[in-house]
Amino acid sequence: MANMIMASSKCLIPFSTTSPSPTPTPRIIPTLQMSLSKLKFSISKPQQALTLLPSTLKSLSILTATSLAMAPPSLAAEIEKAALFDFNLTLPIIVVEFLFLMVALDKVWFSPLGKFMDERDASIREKLNSVKDTSSEVKQLEEQAAAVIKAARVEISSALNQMKKETQAEVEQKIAEGRKKVEAELQEALANLEKQKEETIKSLDSQIANLSQEIVNKVLPNA
Amino acid sequence: MNVLLCSINTLKRLYDISAVEVGQHFYWQIGDFQVHAQVLITSWVVIAILLVSAILVVRNPQTIPTFGQNFFEYVLEFIRDVSKTQIGEEYGPWVPFIGTLFLFIFVSNWSGALLPWKIIQLPHGELAAPTNDINTTVALALLTSAAYFYAGLSKKGLAYFGKYIQPTPILLPINILEDFTKPLSLSFRLFGNILADELVVVVLVSLVPLVVPIPVMFLGLFTSGIQALIFATLAAAYIGESMEGHH
Repeated sequence: MANMIMASSKCLIPFSTTSPSPTPTPRIIPTLQMSLSKLKFSISKPQQALTLLPSTLKSLSILTATSLAMAPPSLAAEIEKAALFDFNLTLPIIVVEFLFLMVALDKVWFSPLGKFMDERDASIREKLNSVKDTSSEVKQLEEQAAAVIKAARVEISSALNQMKKETQAEVEQKIAEGRKKVEAELQEALANLEKQKEETIKSLDSQIANLSQEIVNKVLPNA
Repeated sequence: MNVLLCSINTLKRLYDISAVEVGQHFYWQIGDFQVHAQVLITSWVVIAILLVSAILVVRNPQTIPTFGQNFFEYVLEFIRDVSKTQIGEEYGPWVPFIGTLFLFIFVSNWSGALLPWKIIQLPHGELAAPTNDINTTVALALLTSAAYFYAGLSKKGLAYFGKYIQPTPILLPINILEDFTKPLSLSFRLFGNILADELVVVVLVSLVPLVVPIPVMFLGLFTSGIQALIFATLAAAYIGESMEGHH
């Protein structure tokens, strides 16, 4: 910006002297002149409008006179032809500038960004469509997953059953072993008992014989 | 007498502050022709603003747009929308023209309201929006005329001129007159609105320097935008009109 200002002010200086400033014609009352070729339009300065009103006051007329007398030369130069409808070479230059701007903006903005936006729209639409299409694929995958889960479940249950069977068999075996052992011990103990019984019975038998002998002896002392 | 002198000086100072320059131009001489330098300078600034911002932002477009890119995409969508509603399905080739019209006028108008042009002193005249010079608006309006003639002729060939006697041949003079009133109304509407807006602000500032002009300035911003939109929309409508088939 600063550069631009510098540049513009640089090129302004040499041109400033060539400003044509058509013959300064000081106007006293706001006028709206219409000529055939050009519309001229001038706005009078507030000061003049104030001072030059058709007033009857003497002091104001004095003020008018003095203000005109005091007016610097630059003021007179400023009040000049005001050209609102002043057609000149600016018009074709603006046309050329506009066409240049149009081409340049099309090159750097409208075409590339438009193309980019269209491509992005297309790719997003494509992605959306592809997402819609994959619903069957998703279903298939879900079925696969269900099958896998089912198989795993079957496998696990079979393994569980087997394990159960195995453990049961083991347990039963152990129980059977224990029972056998216990039975064997019982048998042995019973056998022992039987033996002891027989022994005791035997010993008792012999004692019975003795006792009965004794009883006989006692009962029959004379014998 | 002293009192009088004092008052005169105060008046003069007030006048210096509130000087309204209408139709004062800063002339450059090119060959035998004169140009309005203040218009050219400001139009260069406007063009530079547009081009530089566009180059900076659109240089590397992202799939997920950044803030600046988002704004530029929004503007482009807006321009496309305007062109599409006015021209119809074949709006594509006209987007640059309509968009440049809208952007150039819009940035010009807003630069007149927002950029402190008055800081730069010219030897004569003053810097303002390029659109408050009749040359600019007439140039744009003539381009619009050329554009809709081109659109009609390239679409239909010489059959395009059939539209002049379209409902009945009685309307021929009016139809021909329309080709002159269209650019005239386009250019004068823009020119008058922008000039009047700037004048109103300047006059109000000269009367009440504080606070009071602010709403008018905002109104000026609003009308500036509206004028740019109207110009672009009407240009698109004229192009669409000359391209549509006869029923």
